[in-house]
Amino acid sequence: MRLLLLLPVLSLATLACAPATPPPTRETIVVTGSAYDRGLQHGTALRSKIRSFYTTLLNNSLYPFLSREQPDIAGLLKEYDSDRYKEGRFAFELLLDSAKSIERDLGRAGRDELRGIAEGSGLTYEQALVLNTFVDTTLAVRGIGLAIRQGRAPVIESVEFLGAGADQVDNDGDGSSDETDEGVFRPYDPPFFAAAVELDVRTRLRVVFSDADGVEPQTVRVRVNEALYLHGDPSLEFVDLSPGRLQVTWTPPEPLPLASQITFVLSAGDTRIIEIPGPPRASFRRDEELLVTTRGAGLHPRDISRPPLTDNRTRPPPFAVGVKGARAASGPLLAHSFALLDANTAHKHTVVVEHRPDNGPPYLTVGWAGIVYGLSGLNSRGVGVACNPSDTLDNSVVGSVLSQAADLSKAKLLASGLPAGFLVKRVLERAGTAAEGAAVLAEDSPVYGWNCTVADDQGGLEVVELDSDAFKQGQGGVYGYGPTDRDATMRRFSSLTDDDLIVGSSYTRNRDDSIFLNLAGQRVVPQRYWSGFFFRSRRVIDNVTRRLQARAEPVDVPWLEGLLAEPEVVDRSDSMNAVVLDLRARTVHSAMGAVPAPSVPFVATELRP
Amino acid sequence: MRRLFFLVTLVPALAFAMETQVLPQGAIMLDVGYLRTSLDKQWSGERKPLALIDELPRYEPGGGLQGILRARPVAEFDFLLVQALYGVTDSLSVGVNVPILMRSTISTNLSWQPGDYQPQLGRSYSLEDFWSWAESMGQPRVADRAVDSRFRLADIVLGAKYLLPRFEWMKANAFRWSAQLNVALPTGTNADPEEAVSVGTNLWELHAAGDVELHLAADKHFFVDEHGVYRLNIGADVFYAFFRPRQYQGGRGLKNPLLNNNAFYVGDTYWIDPGDWLAGTLSIDVVPFLGPTRASIVSGGSLEKAHALPPMLTLSASYTYVGTFQSDWQSASKLWDWDREKLWQAGEKNVFRFTGTISLLRLGVPLQLYASYRSQDIIPGRYTRPANVFTGGVRAVMKFW
Repeated sequence: MRLLLLLPVLSLATLACAPATPPPTRETIVVTGSAYDRGLQHGTALRSKIRSFYTTLLNNSLYPFLSREQPDIAGLLKEYDSDRYKEGRFAFELLLDSAKSIERDLGRAGRDELRGIAEGSGLTYEQALVLNTFVDTTLAVRGIGLAIRQGRAPVIESVEFLGAGADQVDNDGDGSSDETDEGVFRPYDPPFFAAAVELDVRTRLRVVFSDADGVEPQTVRVRVNEALYLHGDPSLEFVDLSPGRLQVTWTPPEPLPLASQITFVLSAGDTRIIEIPGPPRASFRRDEELLVTTRGAGLHPRDISRPPLTDNRTRPPPFAVGVKGARAASGPLLAHSFALLDANTAHKHTVVVEHRPDNGPPYLTVGWAGIVYGLSGLNSRGVGVACNPSDTLDNSVVGSVLSQAADLSKAKLLASGLPAGFLVKRVLERAGTAAEGAAVLAEDSPVYGWNCTVADDQGGLEVVELDSDAFKQGQGGVYGYGPTDRDATMRRFSSLTDDDLIVGSSYTRNRDDSIFLNLAGQRVVPQRYWSGFFFRSRRVIDNVTRRLQARAEPVDVPWLEGLLAEPEVVDRSDSMNAVVLDLRARTVHSAMGAVPAPSVPFVATELRP
Repeated sequence: MRRLFFLVTLVPALAFAMETQVLPQGAIMLDVGYLRTSLDKQWSGERKPLALIDELPRYEPGGGLQGILRARPVAEFDFLLVQALYGVTDSLSVGVNVPILMRSTISTNLSWQPGDYQPQLGRSYSLEDFWSWAESMGQPRVADRAVDSRFRLADIVLGAKYLLPRFEWMKANAFRWSAQLNVALPTGTNADPEEAVSVGTNLWELHAAGDVELHLAADKHFFVDEHGVYRLNIGADVFYAFFRPRQYQGGRGLKNPLLNNNAFYVGDTYWIDPGDWLAGTLSIDVVPFLGPTRASIVSGGSLEKAHALPPMLTLSASYTYVGTFQSDWQSASKLWDWDREKLWQAGEKNVFRFTGTISLLRLGVPLQLYASYRSQDIIPGRYTRPANVFTGGVRAVMKFW
């Protein structure tokens, strides 16, 4: 009797007890055939993830976030007050306007692939279009917003290292000492390299901030290496020079160490509190970094490497490293650390897509569900490419405003050109060498600023810095260089040897990416004046350069994987993927599916012939 | 953002005293009880206490980590339990249990760990900054305390207990055994998919009992007097609880656009297969005091029968082990499913219950008063939510001769 009762119970228990297992946060899919077919296969295979990615990243994160900007933007561009942009539709319609503008440049194959994605996933075509174009458009709109915010914030008028002009020492590496402007930056121009060298250990720093709303002394922050100086500290002296201008002088409480690098980080906010959109806040100057050395260091300003900052106020941006020739142990390698926008969701939707088109070479891209491209990848011809964003106001959205400047009441923020991912895709579809890849990159204007590194299995290695050339500066927005190219001072742009390249998220050759312009009361200035990436990028380039320099042996895949996982160069919040492209082996080594991406092991994906 | 709560508590299943107790033929017992339950944690797979919901890392697009929102919610529920039992024969009793949620009180106890430095703010986000930011995107602030005083019916449970025929050796050794079947009617409600803080009243959300339960119980009496009243009882019960799959609606973010907007990828509806339970109870009942006994209307004027009535004071203690099987979410998004399933893996509850019953039947008053306390904290469980429950009530017993 007892046994009879027990048997059905146990069988029921067995049926109901299957443990749940976590679904993969990274996928690998193979898509073949025409562009539409490939899109359809992609959309069908990852239907659930595509819809989840669209909802959690766009609907629940980006759209409401962008909608916060509507009052500011509509204040300048009245079109955004119209009904179409109301009731929560602002962000989607804003991005859709640009997506439709970009759509024309995608080509038939690009549009067909998006149709396939839409059909397979159940997204509308418009949603698929926005999903595949929002990164560049958002970067452009965000860049404008950031530049506007920086325009509202206190500006550094001047920086002066007191006494540097009379210390009988060459403090700027130009071979002369005690010139009238030595140690003085007026107007202040954010420096690429060290601001001054061989300073006396008692040198005082004087900064003048200005802001039409007034500079709030309580918000002034001066960090000197590990020490922080705030309002009220006896080392800081405040003088109101005139309404809206505040002079801050820092006096070292004790002599600085001899023969040392000193990093100053300066910041200040204004007196006007912005209440809407929340939270209430002043407008803050980004952290300005000034690197100097004290007497005895014996280094030229360009030879000083920025140390890591440990104040938890900065995160490493994307970077790429290419090695070849004697630098590479077994063939050329291209490594990429990509970080931008995880929002606690992108890492759950990662995918390596093996494209096997009807025409052209097969290729692998490292990206996300529902997005037809990656920001890195390689093709069967041995060409690899990796792109990093590079903030610029020379972008297509600013260009559209310029072209509509005659009547801003009807003007809209419209992106145009190709998103970087589609540029990557075109390189992989067409190029057989790095040089051909660079040429492909130069064919189309990008939506936003990007630094793309192209490498091939024969040792080709090139960087192409791109902007939209809205200001017609004569280069067509294309600024290329390789490891052997040198700047006006005969120094390599961003290489240690002929066989390596280190590329960050700031321009190295295209330094004056934008002209200086006042547009409807807003200052348009080059990247280094406003971009939050600028100092971070310079620092990560120096960090990676140091590590590469310290590596005596040729570089191999495990070493690069280790480099990409180094905490000092990983964005712990927005890291999206870490990739090593082995061009000779036609293999992608990728770490993704977690935050930060290299916190999980790298997985090798070989591209079949 | 995820919605903040998926609440689970515990109300008692159809209550019979002792494991095998049935009512005499024709007897009716009405039981009205008040139940207060509180819940403030869940057990991890390693038997560690965790907050009822995961911490929520919040990110600003492109701005990194805003901070980590932590909630240490405390949920308290007030139930009214109305039960009626009827003795169909001396061996078969049937009953109905009607639980009514009178009030739920949820204190969220939110705290905040600042995240990355935000250059546009000149500081890291504080909790106030975060809510201000969320409100600017249309997401209302989640209340610190949510009180719902609407009376809501939970699942009604129907039950039948049959005292199985005893073999001679059972009779000789004061041994009884019984079988019981409980079946729940789906009168409870699901949690509201649009509310940030919401409580459902179906048995799965209350984690109180199965939709169908099959019990096999036994009692062994010790120190039985000539009237059949014991001084000590040892009981045991094994049961299997089956839960039917339930359909829920996806959220559209109508009230909480950032918290409850998932229908597009989860689906308009989704299913939860809660996973069944396999459980066993050991209990002990001690009678320290029989009490004065007199012939009364309760005993039909018979002193002999009055001596057979329940003792005036009975103290009981029990331990129940409940093995819970994996809960399975079935939506259009396996990612979303896993985020929930990981908290509801196969686990266990360890339930201790202590009860005191005062019976006035021997005095001629057809009432019993009882109070009990149930704890799941004494032995930590796994992947379950340990609700602690106080119950007090009164039973009226009637018999028509």
